[in-house]
This record gives sequence, structure tokens and C-alpha cells, in this order.
Amino acid sequence: MAFEYLFDAILTVSQPLNIMILFLSTAAGLLMGMLPGLSATMAIALLTGLTYNFPTQSALISLLGVYVGAISGGCQSAILLNIPGTPASAATALDGFPMARRGEGGLAIFLATTSSFLGTFLSVIFVLTLTPVLTQFALKFASWEFFLLSIFGIMICGSITARGNALKGWISGILGLMVAQIGMDIVDTFPRYSYGNVNLMSSIQLIPVMIGLFGFPEIVKSFVKKEENRTVGLTRFEPKKGFRLIGKNIVAIIRSAAIGVGVGIIPGVGEDTGGWLSYWASKQNSKDKESFGKGNPLGIISAESGNNSCIGGAIIPVLSLAVPGSAPAAVLLAAFLMHGYRPGPLLMTESPSFVYNVCIYLAFASFAMWAIALLISHGTVRLLALKKKILMPIIYTLCVIGAYLIHYNMFDVKVMFVFGMVGILITKLDIPAAPFLLGVILGPMADSNLRRGLRLSNGSMLPMLQRPICIFFLLVILFMIFQQTGLIDLIKRKGKKDGDK
Amino acid sequence: MKKILTLCLAMLVLGSFCFATAEAEEYPSKNINLTVPYGAGGTTDLTARSITNTMGKELGVTINVVNTPGAGGSAGTLNVLNSPVDGYTMLANGMLCISTMPVNGFTDKTYKDWDVWIATYAPNVVVVPKDSPFNTIKDLINAIRKNPGQITAGTAGIGSGGHFGAEVIKAVAGADYKHITYAGGGPAFTATLAGEVQFCPQLLAEYKDAIISGDVKALCTLSTEDIELAPGVVVPSILNSYPEAAPLLPMGEVTAILIPKGLEEEKLQKLDKAFEVATKDPAFIEFCDQKSFTVMPMGREESQKFLDDFASRACYILWDAGAAKVDPAQFGITRR
Repeated sequence: MAFEYLFDAILTVSQPLNIMILFLSTAAGLLMGMLPGLSATMAIALLTGLTYNFPTQSALISLLGVYVGAISGGCQSAILLNIPGTPASAATALDGFPMARRGEGGLAIFLATTSSFLGTFLSVIFVLTLTPVLTQFALKFASWEFFLLSIFGIMICGSITARGNALKGWISGILGLMVAQIGMDIVDTFPRYSYGNVNLMSSIQLIPVMIGLFGFPEIVKSFVKKEENRTVGLTRFEPKKGFRLIGKNIVAIIRSAAIGVGVGIIPGVGEDTGGWLSYWASKQNSKDKESFGKGNPLGIISAESGNNSCIGGAIIPVLSLAVPGSAPAAVLLAAFLMHGYRPGPLLMTESPSFVYNVCIYLAFASFAMWAIALLISHGTVRLLALKKKILMPIIYTLCVIGAYLIHYNMFDVKVMFVFGMVGILITKLDIPAAPFLLGVILGPMADSNLRRGLRLSNGSMLPMLQRPICIFFLLVILFMIFQQTGLIDLIKRKGKKDGDK
Repeated sequence: MKKILTLCLAMLVLGSFCFATAEAEEYPSKNINLTVPYGAGGTTDLTARSITNTMGKELGVTINVVNTPGAGGSAGTLNVLNSPVDGYTMLANGMLCISTMPVNGFTDKTYKDWDVWIATYAPNVVVVPKDSPFNTIKDLINAIRKNPGQITAGTAGIGSGGHFGAEVIKAVAGADYKHITYAGGGPAFTATLAGEVQFCPQLLAEYKDAIISGDVKALCTLSTEDIELAPGVVVPSILNSYPEAAPLLPMGEVTAILIPKGLEEEKLQKLDKAFEVATKDPAFIEFCDQKSFTVMPMGREESQKFLDDFASRACYILWDAGAAKVDPAQFGITRR
């Protein structure tokens, strides 16, 4: 039965019209992902309106194509300009931009695109084979687990600083957490730091913060520092070297994909976080931790396969519970409903072919993405050869438009400008911007879940120690604290000395 | 530093040029923006998208749905209130949010300050996890009476449809529940599936399929009549067990399209007509049927009459629960 459905789906997607739709929408997704401010969520929402009157299967193909494209597209601007196109690819910039500056931009994009492709493809296999098991896993996550997961994410702040200065990472992360406090809180609907301003009440949006923090310093830098203005030479793609690197790091890719799927499944945590966690996991397992943040190809590979595999992960609870695993998946769910499908517990009895259709379309979309992204990147790497003084004003205009388009609200443009100033300031102080963003992403989750958990347990912290997933997270968090404060190094050194004696 | 500042200023000025827009004459001569003050994929969002698709066709323009979640729906609503009333900025919202915004202290504008077109009604249904010891609404109410303030209810937050449902249960039981709030109906439902909360009084549409498949047990609906979801799957009305709940019913979310008062009558009539056609569109009716919404189209006058009653009930449930900041009487909303 299953093979019949798969075969039907392949036949549907290979109709000439559908192939065309697939390529067009994937390309559109890639472009939107590249432009700062136009996120995957927005790309799917836009397309949902446009495809309302399409034949159902074609509409599904285009929606999934745009999803895969948008999540993957962000890496190109992250690598070439150090301005992530979407929050999902912020982790890619850490190593991608240094690589591009070394003159390996082409290789970096090749690696990012290929691992995006592999990430998506692997996650499709997860959807096809493990949906029932993984749905149960998603339901294991309650308030305490969410709280500890977000604390774990926030702890990463200390280890994503280029020069290994954990303190500066924490400063930045805590600043981000403070920004996340602004607005109506989720638990008691109490307005915090809003001063009666409605825009502040609806909290600070992530995307203007991201554009400001990452975009502005780059724009300003290109006009100020004379010595930085030399253009980097055009870069070759070196697909041979790329494939060799991918092959060498296949374990890291599978690990990142598994992490990404896991993060994707958990409702409310998605692509924005997935890249960071898989990046951290790869850094932990690497013998050469120092080279991360300075242009280590493994950093790009794990971040991109991690965020793309969230796609499959986020779709799993959509299909099995009608609960979206991430923000773009929420819009996708709406689009499914609009086209007459009812994802959820009845899906397998009502329209059993649907799951297979989605999987095949996703797999084809990932192929299309890979082909188009590599094609486009031949043009985009030339951006590096452009004079920064010509390129950056264009980027700036795109930033403003991107921030405005989120909610069609000038307030977001102002927010972007304010955080642009913050970004310039913290860059001057050599404080990394990435932890700031992570703080803004995870702050509301940590805050509301801790308070919800405490309310459920009548103020007792004990449940944290009684749940297996919680204990796992607690151990990891403890390990990270010791590692980042240098205690582990201290113990190791002492052990060595004792051994020498 | 001076250089940087000048540069930044220049960039800001340049950026602001992108937003110069020209005024149009015939209505509607350009695309209309419809604000949904919640995330995409929710009940309000789906209803709005379904209805505006046909409305836009009827008006000959596209109605863009803009999702501006935040502050429990108040942020987007206030944004619309503060925009120029030119007929190009509309709102889709639940009437619970609109009618309780003044008593929650967000604005002094009440439902009377809007032109309202009511489209659908969606009842509350009380569900419990499938392994819950509660099998009927009587079990639940008795448990709440025995352990006041201890039985947990998961809802989408203060002032959400679920909160009102829970308040009705509280009024019937005469004892309090423990309110656990989530970031939306989806997370509240997931928490019920996982067994983190003991009951969930959100809207039927959010978990209809899970009731049919048996993943959660439905104890009762806060509609006045029993609801048949599928052959053999009937959700009984709370009135079957507790007839004294009648004055609080029907409870549920009523979704409408709104525009702040002040638009010319001529333009309003165009919208009247488009709305009427849209609510008769077979695609819309099928959509409502699938989600178990009752199509309940009301024109502007009829909607106001409906809201006189509805807003009074909603505001006083909040006020009596101690959750409202301002006395509804201050806005001329009287107890009915």
C-alpha cells in the first residue's frame, strides 16, 4: 500500500507543470530566505494566499518548495555578508563569514547548500519511518522539559564566542534575555516594560532585532574601516573538495539531522534553534574546538543540516497531532487546512496518501533547492567582488523593507534601528551578537515554562528531578557550566600534574 | 563616531523615502489589509482567510491577511483602531477579545465603536486526557467541589475562549480551578494530550478530530444543544446535567470582521454586500462545517444587538472572577 502511494506521489510531482511549479517556488523561497527580513514563515504565508485557487497537489508542492527554499536560502547572505537571511541561519554566519573572508566563499556555500539538502532529505526519512514513535516523544515535553531545554540553549551562549571568552557570550545572552522580557507576558497577560505603548506590549519582534544586530555593524563597517574595504577575490566552488569534506563529516551530518528533527518535533521550538544546537554538538565532539568561529567548515555543515532537518521534524506533529512544531509549520498547517486536508489523528484513515505526498514533495523540493541554490550562488558570490560602498546601501534598503514587511508596521523599522545601534556598540566592545539573538529567541520559552511548571507543582522545584528528560538536561547544563567556567580544564590539568608525580 | 552618526542618520532618511504612498480615489481601488491579531493557523486566522478570499473577489481587490500576534489579540486590534479609517485596514477578531478589551484596561473603546459583521460561532467543549478518571462532566464538577483550587485547567491565556469556558465551569461548580495558561490553544491542547493539565475547556474546533479518534475524552459542550461530531460521537450539552448553567450559555467564540466606526456609509454598503455573498459561498460553508463552526452571518445592526447581550455576559464573567481591571458599568455595559 505504502509503495503504491509513494509511486503515485512521484508520478504527480514529475508532471511537467508540477516540476515547473516546484522549481519556481523553491527558487522564490531561496530568494526570500536570502533577503534579510523575509523569513520562511512569511514566505509560506504569502504563498498560501497566492496558491488558494491552485489544484491541491500543485499547491502542496509549491508550499513545501518555498519552505525548503526559504530555510536554506538564508545561509548565502549569512556566509557572504555576515547578515543571516533568516534567524535559522544565524549559526551559519559564525563560521561561514570567516571562510568567505578567507576567500573560500564558494566552498562555504557549496557546503552549506549540500548539507541543507542532506538535512532535509534525512528528515524526510524520519517522517516516513518514525512518525508514530516521534509523536510520543513530542508529548513527553511538558513545562519543565521546555524550561530546561531553553536553559540548555541559553547556556550555549557561553560557548559560541569566537575567542573562547565565555563571559562576553553570557553578557550578550543576558542582554537578549532582558529584551525578551518586554511585552505582555504569556502566563498572566501582564504588560512588562511597555510604558503603555501597544507596540511594546506585543513584544519586540525577532527579525528586526536580528537585522539590526547583524546587518548594521556590517553596513557601517564597510564605510568606516579603510583597511577592511579591500574586496575579496572571486572564489571557486571546488565541488571535489566540498564532497570530500561532506564525506569526512557524514557522522556530524547525521548527528545534526537527528538533533534537528528532535528540535523540530517539539512544539514551538524550530529552525531558529535547531542550527544552534547542532552547531554546539559538533563543537563539543570536535577535537579542534578553537577553530570554531574562525571558519571551520564543520560549523557550517552542522548548522545547516541542523536547521534544515527541523523541516521534517516540524511536520511530524503537524501530520499526527495537527500541532505545528515551528512557526513556519504553523502557517503550513493553515494552508493544509485551507486545501481541505485535516492533518491530525484522523489523517491516516481519511487521506492516507497525504503523508506520502508530503514526504515525496519534500524530498523533491530538497533536490530542487540543491540544484537552484548552487546555480544562484554562481551569481551571488560575485557580490563579494562588488564595492561595499555600492552594495551596502542596497542591503540597507532591503533591511528596512524587510523589517517593515513583518507586520506592515513602522515600529519594527524603529526597533531595527535601535538594535542596529546596539549592534554597532557591542561589536565595538567585541561582544558577540549571536548569543544576544539566542537570548531573544529562547527568553519567552524559559520564562513562561518555569512559571507554569512552578504553578503546576505549587511552587516546588522537585518535579525537575523526577523526570528522565529533565535529568538529562540538568546533567548537560551542569557540564556546560563547569566547562565554560574553566573548572573542567582545571581538574584535567590537576589530574595530569598528579599523574606526572 | 560623528561620521558614523551622520551616516546612520542619512541611512534613516533614505529608508523613510521608501514609504511614501499615493492616495487613491475609488473604493476599493487598492488591496485591503486585514489584520488578524493572532498567529497564522488559528481559528480566527482560518475563518478570516476563508471569508476574505470571497470578499476580495466580490470587491475586485485582494484582501491581504496580516498576522500581528501579541498581547492576547489586543496589540493588533489597537493598531487597527489607531490607523486611519479609510476602509483599507480591517480587523478580524473574536468577540470575546473585542468586548473585554475595555474592562481589561487596554482601551476605552467598546464594541459600540466598531462596525461589526459577525460570521461564525464556535462552542467551547470541555475535554480531558484519555486516561483521565473523569468520564462525565459530573465527575469533573464533583472533583472541583471536593478539591477547590486544585484541579488544573489548561487554556490559551487570560481572556481567551478557554478562560471563559473555565469560568462557566467554575460558576457551575461554585469552586475555583487552577488556571494554567499557555501561549495558545495549540499548546494548551498538547498539554492536555500529554496529561500535564486535568481538563481543557478550549473551543471545539481546536480538537474536534482528536475527540473523534478518542485521543481525548469530551465531557460536555457549553452550547445549548448536543453536538454530533461524527456518527455515534455526540458531545452532550452541559445543560443535560446542570440546567442551572443556562444563563451563562451559549459560551464560545464568535468571530467577526470589523472596521472602526467612521467610514462613509457608501463604502460600508459595499462591504455589507461583499460580506453577504462571502458567507453564502459554498467553500466557506464547507470550511465551517468541517471545523464545526456554526455559520451565523449578521449584518452591522444585528451584530450590535447580539453584542449587547454577549459583551455583557463576557465582561461580567471576567469581573465576577476578579480578572477584570475596570468595572464594565463604566463603559455603560450593564448586567443582563
